[in-house]
Amino acid sequence: MRAQFVLSEIWIGLRRNLTMTIAVIVTVAVSLALFGSGLLIRKQVDSMKNFWYDKIQVSVFLCVESSTDPHCKGRVPNPQQKQAIQRDLQNMPEVNKVFYESQDDAWKRFQERFANNKAFVEASSKKDMPDSFRVQLKDPKDYDVVASAVEGREGVDSVANERQVLERFFAMLNGLRDAAFLVALIQVIAAALLIGNTIRLAAYSRRRETGIMRLVGASNFYIQLPFLLEGAIAGLIGGVIASGLIVGAKQFLFDNLQSYFNFTMTLSWGAVAEVIVFSITVGVLLCSAASFLTLRRYLRV
Amino acid sequence: MIHFDTVTKVYSSQNRPALDAVSMDIDKGEFLFLVGPSGSGKSTFLRLVLKEERPSKGRIHVAGKDLQRLSNWKVPHLRRRIGCVFQDFRLLPNKNVFENVAFALEVIGKPRRFIRKVVPEVVDLVGLEGKAHRMPDELSGGEQQRVAIARAFVNRPMILLADEPTGNIDPATSIGIMKVLDRINRTGTTVVMATHDAAIVDSMRKRVVELEHGRLVRDQSRGVYGQAY
Repeated sequence: MRAQFVLSEIWIGLRRNLTMTIAVIVTVAVSLALFGSGLLIRKQVDSMKNFWYDKIQVSVFLCVESSTDPHCKGRVPNPQQKQAIQRDLQNMPEVNKVFYESQDDAWKRFQERFANNKAFVEASSKKDMPDSFRVQLKDPKDYDVVASAVEGREGVDSVANERQVLERFFAMLNGLRDAAFLVALIQVIAAALLIGNTIRLAAYSRRRETGIMRLVGASNFYIQLPFLLEGAIAGLIGGVIASGLIVGAKQFLFDNLQSYFNFTMTLSWGAVAEVIVFSITVGVLLCSAASFLTLRRYLRV
Repeated sequence: MIHFDTVTKVYSSQNRPALDAVSMDIDKGEFLFLVGPSGSGKSTFLRLVLKEERPSKGRIHVAGKDLQRLSNWKVPHLRRRIGCVFQDFRLLPNKNVFENVAFALEVIGKPRRFIRKVVPEVVDLVGLEGKAHRMPDELSGGEQQRVAIARAFVNRPMILLADEPTGNIDPATSIGIMKVLDRINRTGTTVVMATHDAAIVDSMRKRVVELEHGRLVRDQSRGVYGQAY
């Protein structure tokens, strides 16, 4: 096998169909970038799920004077009522622990969370902060049982399911992921067809050479290799461009999203590298496979 | 060297067989003319020897190999032992004489040192001394055919197949081409030449096999083209 000969053939082939090659590279790059972003979203959702589902609490907010909920009717529960609620919660088999968060604590937490939004803090007061029971569950799936047990009870304003809020958010991310995968799939099909066309043109424009190669007994592998590598190299270049786009997505999309939503889970560069390696491999394999299938039709040996 | 045993070839688009129960033996080192009008099956014969086509019936042995049993991936190795020359030369227009001949060795993975040594020898053998760096369009038809013969012979095949090699060349130049083929035959290579050219067949006095409508109608050692029978 003479590497120099094969390399020069590939170079000639890529240059001969320059516009088609560029079209292939762009299509592959876009499709792989979308595919990689979809994988990143999935990784993000998985890691957030692990992180949040362990910490999930059911928050039982109690009525305060400023409560707007009609069944509070402005009545604040007295200490005996509060103790009764806490005792009942603690006695439930699904419950692990119950914390009481006083209005003081809630106010402090509120001020911390919105420290960079002075106007909002100033417009609120400690009296607006409901005190609450934070219920930690043995199994986060049991939140319905616990929530329905105290919901509507006298002195209870509302029960917040963190899980429901999170799940709505995850569903949105999953929707984005599916959309990315769908567009990536369409692009992949377009890329495969483009590669097929490029290779067909290349095989046609080099039919003289390949005809002679066949006659003098060059092996099928040797005849097809330059075409295969042509596809693979286009796939590789597309993959490299896609990895640039994926790094950009991580830097400007995911990290921004995270600071916006106050996540504690940033996507590690290790995970990004994993996605990039996977995407490039998919790109190269896809292009080689598309070339190979076309060659079998147009380069009878 | 080449053995046909009642070989029939029917192309799917035609009713009439292109070759009809042809049997013949060609020995090592023979020079054989395959004659007959267009469509008589000469080209089909050559394509069958190269295993470019499969026979519909019958068996073919080439260079000791049963072609029916030869698996597809071994076909290239069969073709390395067979050289081919055509009426239309089939040279690569963007390569010079040396590169055209070297191409046949490059694509079967021969080392460069070997190519540098062997190609000039063969270019000289076919009578193109000093023209190794000419491009095909700077050569006459006869010279181009010599390049094609050099390319077919450079890997020292056991068999040389020539399909109307003088079909595009004037009679005077054809004599030169025949001398080259004769020289190659003398090195022990079996030469099978399909031709219309009566003058050449008559002058060489070699074995002549005549095909007509796919049937073998004459097989004569030291024959002529238009034998009355």
